[in-house]
Amino acid sequence: MSESVELTIPVQSDLVVLARLTAVTVASRAGFDVEELENLRLAVDELCVSIVNGSSAGRLNLTFVSGDGSVEVDCALDGPTSPPADTDDIYGEHDLSVRILDALVDEHGEDMGDGRRRVWLRKRSIRHEGS
Amino acid sequence: MRSVSTDQPGAGQATVGIPHEGERVSVDHAFGISEHAEDGLLRVAVRGEVDVATAPTLREHLYDAVDRSSGVVVVDLSAVTFIDSTALGVLIGAQERSRDHGTQLRIILNEARIVKIFEITGLTELFSIFPTVAEAVAP
Repeated sequence: MSESVELTIPVQSDLVVLARLTAVTVASRAGFDVEELENLRLAVDELCVSIVNGSSAGRLNLTFVSGDGSVEVDCALDGPTSPPADTDDIYGEHDLSVRILDALVDEHGEDMGDGRRRVWLRKRSIRHEGS
Repeated sequence: MRSVSTDQPGAGQATVGIPHEGERVSVDHAFGISEHAEDGLLRVAVRGEVDVATAPTLREHLYDAVDRSSGVVVVDLSAVTFIDSTALGVLIGAQERSRDHGTQLRIILNEARIVKIFEITGLTELFSIFPTVAEAVAP
């Protein structure tokens, strides 16, 4: 069963928890197990953090789509933003965030479509892989 | 430290810590910090979710503890239920600050989910990590 949930929140750090909660709810309904839910919860948080830390105003538009044993999360910013600083520090927050996403989800990326900064991820439930 | 738990309908639990002399407490819904001076070292105990919203509070407390310490600061993460890259950045900053001050930062870590995050990010190589308080405070 395919399901789509949309969430729009102001760019405020204390509201990122709503994105985590929504991701877990959607993925739970899609049959993700406890460990997968925990992984997705952190991955969605990292998506939002990458935008929240570079923005001081605007709104985050999140879309959670589940189906065929996978969940896709799309997060786009309506508002001013600056890209993450490119540093050589392997322990910089941006690098840490990328490492976390690399380990916890199957695919993730970012782009600047239509002048809006957008980040996204896709995670497939292990139980559905190969089906 | 005496603790009082309150139930906020629809918002989960919040714990208010009433500090004894020598203790400092900061609470923000499911997230809390307490500090204990023991045997010449400072133990900063963190509980709940440490994320982009609560990391600034952690930074304030942790940096202050490092500045006041003359030896070892133990960061007890055994009651942390969630941690993200923002929070990890705070710990890295505290580590660097402690080195500048000639003090030592030790971390208590035993929750499997949180240990995994440290392993994924390679931070097990950066920090002195211990599974229990007893091992962390040993000379």
